[in-house]
Amino acid sequence: MSASPLVAYPKDALKPERPDSSKPTASPLKRPISTAPPSSDGTPRPAVQTQPVRPRAKKDLAEQMNDEEKHKWVKGKKLGEGTYANVFAAHLRSDPSQKAAIKKIKVQQAFKDGMAPDALREIKHLQELNHPNIVRLISVFSSKDQNLNLVLEYLPLGDLEDLIKNIDTYRYSHADIKAWMGMLCRGVWWCHENFVLHRDIKPNNILIAANGEAKLADFGLARSFSDPGLPMSSQVITIWYRPPELLLGAKHYSGAVDIWSVGCVFAELVVRAPFLPGGNESEQLGLICKLIGTPTEDNWPKVTTLGNYAAVGAEVHPVTPREGYMARFSAVGADGVDLLMKTLTLDPKKRITARGMLDHKWFRSEPRPTSNENLPRQRSGGVEKMAADLKRVNPMEDDKDGRGAKVARKLDFGAMKK
Amino acid sequence: MAAEDVRYRQSTQYRLWSFSPVQLASTREQTNALARSNISERLLSNPPPPPPAASLKPPPATGASDATSGSNTPDPHAAAQQHQQQQAEQPYTLPEFLTPAEELQLLNYYTVELLRAANHFNLRSPMLASAAVFLRRFYATNSVMTYPPAEMLKTCLFFGCKAEGYYPNNEQFAQQFPKTKGEGILAGEFLLCQGIRFAFDVKHPFRGLEGAVLELRRYGDVDSTRINDASNRAKEILRFSPLVTDAYFHYTPSQIMLAALSLADQDLADRVLHETFHRHPQTEQKSNKSSNSSTSASTSEQRAALISSEVRARVAEAVNACRDLLAKEPPERLTSYWDTPESNNIIKPLLKKLRKCRDPDRFNLVELQKAKREEALRREEAEEKRAAGGGDKKTVEADGSVFGEALGGAGGGRGGEGRDVKRRKTEGKGGDPFGGPLG
Repeated sequence: MSASPLVAYPKDALKPERPDSSKPTASPLKRPISTAPPSSDGTPRPAVQTQPVRPRAKKDLAEQMNDEEKHKWVKGKKLGEGTYANVFAAHLRSDPSQKAAIKKIKVQQAFKDGMAPDALREIKHLQELNHPNIVRLISVFSSKDQNLNLVLEYLPLGDLEDLIKNIDTYRYSHADIKAWMGMLCRGVWWCHENFVLHRDIKPNNILIAANGEAKLADFGLARSFSDPGLPMSSQVITIWYRPPELLLGAKHYSGAVDIWSVGCVFAELVVRAPFLPGGNESEQLGLICKLIGTPTEDNWPKVTTLGNYAAVGAEVHPVTPREGYMARFSAVGADGVDLLMKTLTLDPKKRITARGMLDHKWFRSEPRPTSNENLPRQRSGGVEKMAADLKRVNPMEDDKDGRGAKVARKLDFGAMKK
Repeated sequence: MAAEDVRYRQSTQYRLWSFSPVQLASTREQTNALARSNISERLLSNPPPPPPAASLKPPPATGASDATSGSNTPDPHAAAQQHQQQQAEQPYTLPEFLTPAEELQLLNYYTVELLRAANHFNLRSPMLASAAVFLRRFYATNSVMTYPPAEMLKTCLFFGCKAEGYYPNNEQFAQQFPKTKGEGILAGEFLLCQGIRFAFDVKHPFRGLEGAVLELRRYGDVDSTRINDASNRAKEILRFSPLVTDAYFHYTPSQIMLAALSLADQDLADRVLHETFHRHPQTEQKSNKSSNSSTSASTSEQRAALISSEVRARVAEAVNACRDLLAKEPPERLTSYWDTPESNNIIKPLLKKLRKCRDPDRFNLVELQKAKREEALRREEAEEKRAAGGGDKKTVEADGSVFGEALGGAGGGRGGEGRDVKRRKTEGKGGDPFGGPLG
């Protein structure tokens, strides 16, 4: 998309009312700021310290703006506590029916280089991404004790992982899967459309809003698309959802890495168990070879030049044909299986894009996707789950049953220079 | 309105950090006025020791640390001494403060310093540019007199790298500067984040320039060495001129890019604009037809042509204005202007003035950070105590939080922390939660 020169000259760009007030954007100029004259009489300070009779110094503009943001919210009870963050219920001061979750990020002792990358990335990207299928960052402010507070959308119905795992409690259908997948694809499409890679898509990062809408959360590993030639870390995405190019050590990759994860989530929704639950990287690669096919020069040109290709091993499994998938995934019909296969294509260049997924015929064929209000949903425990999901972010922390605990967040911090 | 424009308007760069020149000037005036009144207040309530000795201490870093730690710790002896001195000698007179114009001049100076450092480290363009933008945003709502720009620029460089996806080790990063410790760089980080309103994503014109180059090549009739020359020059301009001026506050990345391109090669920039708007009526017309079938084809065509020519004129106007702004600070100023005696004649007096009028409590970032940390710890302890208090103390707890809320909201500087802290203040003589001079 070429940059359009059409954005008008600032005088127009700065209308005081902003029709799109999706995020609070207090202009520093809307508030009259009283600037009391300094008490320039130079009266010497009384020897006895009297209590706060002297008017306090006014806050700097930056502090005033921060306080204004903070004052909009009333913090409620603590919903969860983790080593990375605490999560509180909250509501708008002006309208208590407007609920939110406040994630208060703790100062991380372990990270000696200031603000932790997780927090920085999450704030950076969520500030810019505004979409119904991406968790909304409503506001950010700092509290007096120098902690970061992220005001996030209130998502009281838990996450997709719960719905998948609790087979006895929740039943869902082909149409339900289609609805959730549609929402997931739209969220991922919006990320890619804005040149952001999520790099940690998995069921417990897909949260459910009060109206049943699914939202992509946890942008702690996200990053902008790299410029050509600049390497990225291949140690991203929780291992069960990690695409073969990352397992093989690719340093230059695209949105296709997220699409693979989406495919794994799709498969998991159907079989209600993780599709490729490898115990470590080589096991994961082995599973991919066995269940999807061994990457070779034929199905993926130049794959042998990737750093870890030696790990693939000598045994070559042919790429699983359509019938192989139909046996396991026929619940979503032939069209559904077609889409699944396109997301789980070995060669990332041939893998379907987010846009391509949205255009896929599965979403237009019968059955129609379930409407949000009719989707199966949690009846209890969702709030706690939200708190657990929100405070987690740092995956080194406990992950009760070890599901998805194997993300590697060792990132490649080299290459700062040209 | 074009889809890209709608998208740009959702960015934090537009929502939070775009102003008209008048708005920006008034923000800076407010910032300056607040700093004056706050610093006056602090100096008057706890005046620094008489000048002759103090003014002999030249280096800003060490000088600041002496001054602030002295006034920051509630040492009764020192206070008493000062009090005596004060009574014995003449009443303390306030220093002369920097004007908003002088602050801006210093900000420009420090921005150039930042760019020099960034060039020295060979930082990639987005990191260098983000760092510079962070510095200028920070000092839109904070005064140069309140927080030390020489320190903040290092913090901006460090955070600029982080915001662009590279996470340098802070100690190693600090070693690249003379007389700098990692601690000093981190001390300003949180302050910076708050000052830039947690808008970490800055949209730069560099990729836009690459796009324009591709466009120009696509036309097929433009000489490729000419394109390369223009592109190189424009890149050079983009790495300096928009960052040392207020271009990012007033113009979009694409406008800045076109302005830089037109400085490098006016005809090529005009060509890009021409090709864009030349084609525009057709696309406009098509979309009108499909979305609004009631409008007849001819009127929508006319309307499109009309809008298009009007928009084109406005775009050209914006690009020209931006070009004039950039032309004031050509890249050559990085080396030629700022090093010369005449620039020293302007900057040195300002630096001297700044040394006299800076905020006694806040200019030393490391000390300030320490005090805030200690205060936070104290509050946490107090909270735990309260929480452990259990059932019958419910009302007390509620009262406490009410006070906390009210004070915090109403804007007592470092005031909003219940009574517990106040009591503790007398116990430990470490950092004063209220920051000495106000207590």
